[in-house]
Amino acid sequence: MCNRAAILKRASHAARCGWRILGLCAAATAAAVAVTVAAATETAADAPVDAQQVLAASDAIRNPSRSFALTTTLIEYHKGRETDTSTLQIYAKADGASGQYRNLIRFAAPSRDVNKLMLKNGNDLWFYDPSSQASVRISPRQRLLGQAANGDVVTVNLARDYRAQLVGEEDIDVGDGMPRRCRELALAAVSADVTYNHIEIWIDAVSSHPAKAKFYAESGQLLKTAYYRRYQRELDADRPTETVIIDGLDRQWVTIMRYSDYAWRDVPESWLQRDYLPRFKPE
Amino acid sequence: MRVCIVALWFLVCGMARAEDDAAALALPGADAAANASPGSASLLAEGALTRAAVRTGGEADAQRVSVDVSEDARVAPNWRLVFGDRLDVDWAGTATSGQAINTLKQAYASWQPRTDVLLDAGRINARQGVAFGYNPTDFFRADALRAVDSLDPNSLRDERLGTVMLRGVGLWDGGALAAAVAPRLADQPRAASFDLDLGATNPRARWLLTLTQRITADLSPQWLLFSTGSQPPQVGLNVTSLVGSSIVAFVETSAGRAPTLWAQALGLDGAESLHACAATGLTYSAANKLSLTLEYEYDGAALDRGAWAAARDGSSQAYGRYREFVLDQQELPTQRAAFVYASWQDGLARHLDLDGFVRVDLIDHSLLPWVELRYRWPQLDAAVRWQDYIGGRTTDFGAATTRQTWQLLLDYYL
Repeated sequence: MCNRAAILKRASHAARCGWRILGLCAAATAAAVAVTVAAATETAADAPVDAQQVLAASDAIRNPSRSFALTTTLIEYHKGRETDTSTLQIYAKADGASGQYRNLIRFAAPSRDVNKLMLKNGNDLWFYDPSSQASVRISPRQRLLGQAANGDVVTVNLARDYRAQLVGEEDIDVGDGMPRRCRELALAAVSADVTYNHIEIWIDAVSSHPAKAKFYAESGQLLKTAYYRRYQRELDADRPTETVIIDGLDRQWVTIMRYSDYAWRDVPESWLQRDYLPRFKPE
Repeated sequence: MRVCIVALWFLVCGMARAEDDAAALALPGADAAANASPGSASLLAEGALTRAAVRTGGEADAQRVSVDVSEDARVAPNWRLVFGDRLDVDWAGTATSGQAINTLKQAYASWQPRTDVLLDAGRINARQGVAFGYNPTDFFRADALRAVDSLDPNSLRDERLGTVMLRGVGLWDGGALAAAVAPRLADQPRAASFDLDLGATNPRARWLLTLTQRITADLSPQWLLFSTGSQPPQVGLNVTSLVGSSIVAFVETSAGRAPTLWAQALGLDGAESLHACAATGLTYSAANKLSLTLEYEYDGAALDRGAWAAARDGSSQAYGRYREFVLDQQELPTQRAAFVYASWQDGLARHLDLDGFVRVDLIDHSLLPWVELRYRWPQLDAAVRWQDYIGGRTTDFGAATTRQTWQLLLDYYL
């Protein structure tokens, strides 16, 4: 357990206080499940792996290898009741220089938001409203999608932005009653301009499928928990078709993101320009 | 003992979280893309009831029905037709016959022979600028408003006329160059209900060049060069930059030789001199969906403190003409102003948005507060708006004929 806490602490020096609380919590919880955790730690020690490679393999599961498009439907729940739905068409293309994805997102529903656009090129984010023909630069923190952060809907290569360390192994159930043996990684941001300061992620030890992730602010505050599930064959690989996001501040807020219409799609450079936003026409 | 209690507390918390997660993972979801729209056409129908306190006493009631339609249709592999129109019908008091004003916002054809080359021809709403309350580089904004339904800057941009022009755009990785030429098509604005109002948008020949080039990952300035033909060219610049993860800073500025707004309004033979205009500020986004914009505005061609005082004390006819002119041109009547805008989505309750702004004339200290509370259903909005013109009788905002105004609105989206 001490080793686990030490790794987590190293993962984010800036979040020292938050981790201290988490460490206490983990210690108390461990008192009840000590045998399981100890076994997981031993297993990790017996089979050392390159955590960064594990993370990169997981990225490859979430992110197709070349430009693609998909439809994302967000369904929001509060206290178990559906409160909102929205549908987005997402076009993603990897940047040759940084390896990070650039995204063009078109709002397809509800009616009041149809054809609004968001362009994300690193931290250069623009929001376009077709009614006013206005492109407005927005900050990464600005929310456009109800409870979901902009960063939740775009394609992100975590291995590019975070340094990973192996914490242990744990069985994760994503709601289908079939727990999977997962490697737990602690991710620390390598730069300050990312959405989350640090992340815990659980990745299937056999398939490299991401199963669960917990996203934290610099203060150590848990911002959200995500479960990746319903894997299906899409674009030459088994990929998650659903993510369940539980709000960290109010766990009664839940957003289910469903992915459909995966397709290889050439995304021209011109689409990823702010000046092209007024001229974009979905196909 | 204390350690045991703490351990037990964390254990209970952990179990509660596990239960929350299990409940979340049992939620049903919905059929993906069930509500997705193909995104070609849209329609907004709006009804409004207005009650205003008249400055000279009494109250004035008005009703309005508006229909706003837009269509963006691909008619051939490389061809699109874009159309946008708004019809406002106003009834003042209890009159039975309404006054209709139609605004043809856009109607143009677009040809895209390559992914990085576009040619557009027709009436185009070519909007420029990164500021919120005042856009000195939005060169085609003059006389573009036929009907003003709301003083919200977003609505003013939504509801304006486009300019008839031919526009070409070339794009490359990290930049774009656009050239637009707008011919002279008529002399004067016309108020007839369904007039195309080409005199408002194309009273003289004009052209605009815009160049955007990414310099760093965070910096993509846009340069503009604008000419009306008869006057020296104006140059413009739009720059934005990220400050941390929650603040966007922006600067929008233009400069060029021109007569003062006073000389233009009154048709005087004023000498041209160099004037600069600018709007600069910050937008802060909080984690709770609150966005706050602070903007400082400067219009070098407008009246300074002394000239504004003289205008207020001078000929009421000249003063009235000047006010009407700067309103039509969407310029500032005095040289310095401030603009504060707050937008709080789901601010007071889920689906209940609170938006508001305050315009402050920093020369005569009159101000205009505006607040809107809006509740959103899937295809219907209900909103209540309030605004107040505050200031002395001939100040920037105090000269309005009304004081407080309340408005109830229903918006239906199709």
